[in-house]
Amino acid sequence: MIFRLALFVAKFAGLVSRNILGKSGETIPGKVLLTFFPDAIGKLSQGRIVILVSGTNGKSSTTRTLASMVSEIGPTTSNFTGSNLDCGIATALMRKSKYAVLEIDELFLPSMIVATKPAMVLLLNLSRDQLHRMLEVRRVASLWHEAVAKSPQTLFVGDIDDPFIAYALSASARNISLSFGGRRHIDASACPSCGIYLEWQGNSFSCHCGLTNANPTKVLSSGNAAYRNYQLATFANKELGGKERAYVQGDFERTIAAKEDGISRIRLVKNPASWSEALASIESKEFILILNSRQQDGLDISWIWDIDFSALAGKSVRVTGERGIDMKYRLHVAGIESSIHSNYQSALWSVDSSVQVLASYSAFHELAMR
Amino acid sequence: MKRLTIISLHKELLGTYGDQGNVEVLAHRGGLLGYEVKVEEISYRDLVPDNGDIYLLGGAEDSAQILSAEALRRDGGLQRAKERSAVILGVCAGFQILGNSYFANGVKHRGLGLLDVDSYPGEKRSVGEIRVTSLLNEEEMSGFENHSGQTRLGGRALPLHRVKTGIGNGDGHYDGAMNTNVFGTYLHGPVLARNPHFADHLIARATAQSLQFAKDVLADEYASAALKI
Repeated sequence: MIFRLALFVAKFAGLVSRNILGKSGETIPGKVLLTFFPDAIGKLSQGRIVILVSGTNGKSSTTRTLASMVSEIGPTTSNFTGSNLDCGIATALMRKSKYAVLEIDELFLPSMIVATKPAMVLLLNLSRDQLHRMLEVRRVASLWHEAVAKSPQTLFVGDIDDPFIAYALSASARNISLSFGGRRHIDASACPSCGIYLEWQGNSFSCHCGLTNANPTKVLSSGNAAYRNYQLATFANKELGGKERAYVQGDFERTIAAKEDGISRIRLVKNPASWSEALASIESKEFILILNSRQQDGLDISWIWDIDFSALAGKSVRVTGERGIDMKYRLHVAGIESSIHSNYQSALWSVDSSVQVLASYSAFHELAMR
Repeated sequence: MKRLTIISLHKELLGTYGDQGNVEVLAHRGGLLGYEVKVEEISYRDLVPDNGDIYLLGGAEDSAQILSAEALRRDGGLQRAKERSAVILGVCAGFQILGNSYFANGVKHRGLGLLDVDSYPGEKRSVGEIRVTSLLNEEEMSGFENHSGQTRLGGRALPLHRVKTGIGNGDGHYDGAMNTNVFGTYLHGPVLARNPHFADHLIARATAQSLQFAKDVLADEYASAALKI
């Protein structure tokens, strides 16, 4: 009874936040509820089929697509806006549903596995990102490994070509591991499991300790990150009894459709892995790069030096954002000159043909809210 | 044309925090100063070459740090480089490797002993912007630090930087260490990108030439902007 009262108060807070304060209202209800009932996420998960999605890149788009697939099987709730910490998760669970498909922050995944007792967890990938917070990639993988070992009832679905995911999956009692023919990983020169120099043969790894991508549940053809995440979502959906859905690359990329003339695409780029994905498929001649260094972006942006920007050679590049000058100097040393602008609007004014925008996390979200 | 050979060591292990930038900035400024620059990337399985003017070691996670340190100790190439006064710069884990000892994965390990320093686990991880004064030339410098270790200097090492804000070695005063041409620091950023004059210092030391600053207006603008982050 008291819990239902707390739910009512929390929902009311969300209503106020949305309608009076004009905010998204995706975290306030959960925050209020968790203040009264710290174990609310566990309570609200009971009697539901919970599927969690985590990884460095592709969490939001994979969650959105999987939730859309699962909603054809039965009523589904999800944290659509990417509020992937406890408050956002609690808010999503306050909506009644049979299924819950939830995006989870990498560091929150272990506690959310304990709280929600998920039927399934999708482990997408792990690479260097927000190191001021994650500290080390290996550390995140170790936390996952421990959490996976403690959850024998859960089915873990993951991309075994990523050595950190292979390590997490190796602790599981039940898993579906997919291989896409292997690929090199810049952060996995030391074996995530035993720490010795990881032996790679071509794109595949096989360590003396037994960690390898050579024995997956299924081998699929290779493809980009969007395609790989589609396959993981598809296998999860199939496991739940859902119908197959055709692959649409755009579903798996964090892009905003053009709202203003002249912009072809705005794409989220937040770490070396997502930058490399974006630079591998550029189509424009004109670019605006936006770099910030707020909490969500990562306070340390040294990683821009880990990116090979040669795809931008010969293009017309504008940089902006709070750390635009870092980007300008980084490109300059790589032999790519750019113009710097005090803000996005002024960068946009200087463009006269179709321009592609690559934006760091906070900038991307600001543009998405416009 | 004068030659400058830069050896980038174990990039696949010691490259966690954008350390590749130090290699690129050195090569860039070397070029501006009129050197014919050659960069050699030496991986874990390679031997450390004896023809380098500057050797660079970057930051790493614990297991990678142990692997790299053991390989470099077996190889002995950095000891030889020190004896012939080549410049060696280690950042973060690379700095600790150059010392007498360090901790990784909770265990004490032997370093290369090229700097008389010992690193040990700190009570709290040091993460954030750091401002220091260079003890090479009293210039203000900036960087980002992210390390759990702290470092104690022995009698045969001098501190490299005086800390203004941030943690550095964790003794409340200094960051890094130096002994003739061997340098270590906790500053990422990368350190040579945010502090290009330090790169020029290393080039001058490595080539035994008098110090000349490369002319690059953007680099200077960036260095001043980075001090205000």
